[in-house]
Amino acid sequence: MLVKDIMTRHPIMAASDTPVTEVQSIMSQNGIRHLPVVGDGKRLQGLITRQRLALKADELGSLNVWEITRHISQLRAGQIMLKRAQVITVTPNRTVERAAALLTDYKISGLPVVEEEIVVGIITETDLLRAFQIMLGLPMSGVRVTVRMPNRKGEFNKLSSVIAQNGWGVTGMGSFPTPRNPGKYDLVLKIPDVSVDEVQEALSSIPDQTIVDIRAAV
Amino acid sequence: MASEITYGHTGPVLKLEDVAIAYKVRGGEIEAVQNVSFEINRGESHGIVGESGCGKSTVAWAIVNFLGANGYVKRGSVKFLGQELVGKRGEDLRRLRGDQIAMVYQDPMQALNPSMRLGDQLKEVLTVHRGLSNAEAEKRAIEMLERVYMPDAANVMKRFPHQISGGQQQRVVIAMALLNNPALLIMDEPTTALDVTVEAAVLDLIAELRREFDTAIMYITHNLGVVARVCTKVGVMYAGEMVERGTVEQIFKHPQHPYTQGLMRCVPKLGADKASSMLYPIRGRVPPPNSRPIGCIFGPRCDYARERCRLERPQPRIMSNGVEVRCHFAEEIDPAQWQPHEDIELPTVHEVAPGEPLLKIEHLKKYYEVSGTTLKDLLGLTPKRYVKAVEDATFTVRQGRTLGVVGESGCGKSTLIKTIIGLENSTDGKAEFMGFDITGDISSRDLAVIKELQMVFQNPDSTMNPSYTVGQQIARPMLRFKTVPKKQVRQEVIKLLQAMRLGENYMDRLPRQLSGGEKQRVGIARALASHPNLVLCDEPVSALDVSVQAAILNLLLDLQSKLGTTMVFIAHDLSVVRFFSDDVAVMYLGQIMEIGPADAIYAPPYHPYTEALLSAVPIPDPTAEQKHIRLEGSVPSALDPPSGCRFHTRCPRRHLAPEEGAVCATQIPPWQEIGNGHKIFCHIPQEILRTFEPVISIKEKDESHVS
Repeated sequence: MLVKDIMTRHPIMAASDTPVTEVQSIMSQNGIRHLPVVGDGKRLQGLITRQRLALKADELGSLNVWEITRHISQLRAGQIMLKRAQVITVTPNRTVERAAALLTDYKISGLPVVEEEIVVGIITETDLLRAFQIMLGLPMSGVRVTVRMPNRKGEFNKLSSVIAQNGWGVTGMGSFPTPRNPGKYDLVLKIPDVSVDEVQEALSSIPDQTIVDIRAAV
Repeated sequence: MASEITYGHTGPVLKLEDVAIAYKVRGGEIEAVQNVSFEINRGESHGIVGESGCGKSTVAWAIVNFLGANGYVKRGSVKFLGQELVGKRGEDLRRLRGDQIAMVYQDPMQALNPSMRLGDQLKEVLTVHRGLSNAEAEKRAIEMLERVYMPDAANVMKRFPHQISGGQQQRVVIAMALLNNPALLIMDEPTTALDVTVEAAVLDLIAELRREFDTAIMYITHNLGVVARVCTKVGVMYAGEMVERGTVEQIFKHPQHPYTQGLMRCVPKLGADKASSMLYPIRGRVPPPNSRPIGCIFGPRCDYARERCRLERPQPRIMSNGVEVRCHFAEEIDPAQWQPHEDIELPTVHEVAPGEPLLKIEHLKKYYEVSGTTLKDLLGLTPKRYVKAVEDATFTVRQGRTLGVVGESGCGKSTLIKTIIGLENSTDGKAEFMGFDITGDISSRDLAVIKELQMVFQNPDSTMNPSYTVGQQIARPMLRFKTVPKKQVRQEVIKLLQAMRLGENYMDRLPRQLSGGEKQRVGIARALASHPNLVLCDEPVSALDVSVQAAILNLLLDLQSKLGTTMVFIAHDLSVVRFFSDDVAVMYLGQIMEIGPADAIYAPPYHPYTEALLSAVPIPDPTAEQKHIRLEGSVPSALDPPSGCRFHTRCPRRHLAPEEGAVCATQIPPWQEIGNGHKIFCHIPQEILRTFEPVISIKEKDESHVS
């Protein structure tokens, strides 16, 4: 799964001369938190986030009421945006986990996706969370089982051969080191078109592996 | 059942709300489109269907503000990617059109500059809108041409538009539209002018590109079959209003608005014939924008109209299955209970026993001489070259029967007809009509023969004298052939007009005062005025709307059964040909490839070419599944047709022929008799041809999830 697979293509964008009042209404009406500012044929110039729309007390402090109105009505997207050099971006061929790492490292919530400086999409927390659901097979019905196994070679082979013997398929999968239990790995599988009992019976016979959780409805 | 999986944000790219579009004209303004609302999501293709004059294209133009100086969006909002387009400055709109919205129109030649090389036109998009360097733009343009499966892309860049075929031109236009990765692609009848085989390839391409680029597509067409193939959602427009909107499956399976139901009854299903099924035209016609009824806009043509429909304009309602319908009584209407209204006259069709052979064509050839431009050519030193438009046509048409002729454009269908009627003389072969020899052109023919052979043309506009009244046009053949005494001509013309359901008052009208369907009726009346024995129809319904098409086909059927007229019927729509004809001939590059009774042609054993044609026809039924056979390349030049079997260069089944298809290139194939007059011109043995599976199968709804 790469960024290009899960990003939102054709994101809503604005030009740098768009009035800030319009920027605000575009963002609130469409329920978006990131608005790339582009010019020159979709070239990224900057990014407006909700925070950029917040009033800057120090800038307005010396102005009276009338001047504030005029100041705001004359503001343009280009003046309030985060400038290109400060915007963290990602390319369409990066992996989703790397994109997620960028979000957590910089404590931000979205990344414009650029290809040779041209905006081709946007990827946000929402997209990554949706990808997470899909990877674990949430949209499909089936049995969700978590198997705990020792961290050594050949363990997964035992599990997969049992699944293969039964002629089952897998619609979602995830694996991670067991929390607070070094030396073990947990593997989450989503198996469609079977019953909980069938899975329980087949998988519990595998030596050294235990079913820590099994459920049909997620 | 798995729920729909979506990646990324799927909000609408385009959202229209209660849009009304008006044109300012002398003495007020006309609301061409009223209260149209719909939205198109990312990666979705939304079809807009309806008869001509229903405002489909007007909506598309309004989105990009191409309405012209007197048109404007009067009410409502058009939102593109969350931004209001109505009232936007020209400069902003221009930028949007270049960067985010692209359009593909019906005629690719009009979208391409004939005096610029294709490469320069493609590069311009990138250098102007994106400021790329020339070399970079060139690279991108070639890549995109390869994406749309253009053979020899780098070379095509150097050519001019007229140097590539129509299907390739449309590909270039699509490639140009996609170069900037637009969020919205507006396609206005992009395949209407193309052959079925080319159309099928372009439709495949559109579907593929939509998935890959996540582009929202607004697809305008009048062809229900095309909608069923490429669209996910469809809106039906009638007289400037959206009357029904839903997913393709819902609309095709359970049309709820009477207009949608009427449209479905107008198109022949592929495989339907005139004996077992009937077409029901919608009575009346689309009201002009300034005289629309106060109540339901479809009321005057609706078979279910009640008092309420006359008084109150229905508002769009969401039905239980999620379809939006603009009808007061949509729940109560059951299409299965529908009975044709008494105003619709339906033809009485009875099977005609094959009579005496009327037209006998044997090994007919028509070559056109091509003169070269070099000095040697002018001096006559080089051998003469010929366009072999018709090569070896052999068939018989019996009294009272209809022979349908199908094939791609340039296959010689029209030349064949022109040779029979005498507009061209034949090069070689025998042609006999009622015992008379008709190999020469019309000047050498007896008046009695001319009288018995008449023709209906595709485009009634260009075949009628614009300054003659309808009455004069129809009376002319009667006077010329003296079929009717002079005093009775007027009576006879009125009788004919009534047979065409036009009425006496049409006598004194001029062609420009008639609609397309009416003109075609006059054209048919004129062809029938001399009581001909054989009528040749060259695409008589291709230029007409489906409801008019149904009416004209019914009319022709009715006349045929009343007068016993024999017909030769050319059309590129295979379902129409199947419906209308008793016998069908399939032509390719001047050669008849397969001939036989209609039902035999549309079922195995097929000629490989027939098979490919059938798999390309768009079927107005989203549950129908077609085999995916696409012919590669374009029809070879008739100037230098391939040796042996003319189809061997594109034949997808060639490997099945003896010697792995080596004979196809060297030997002319034999005529294989399948029985019952069905003959196939192919090297592949009958036994193998019989094993082909039917091209079209109706799949049962079954979407089990496979991991």
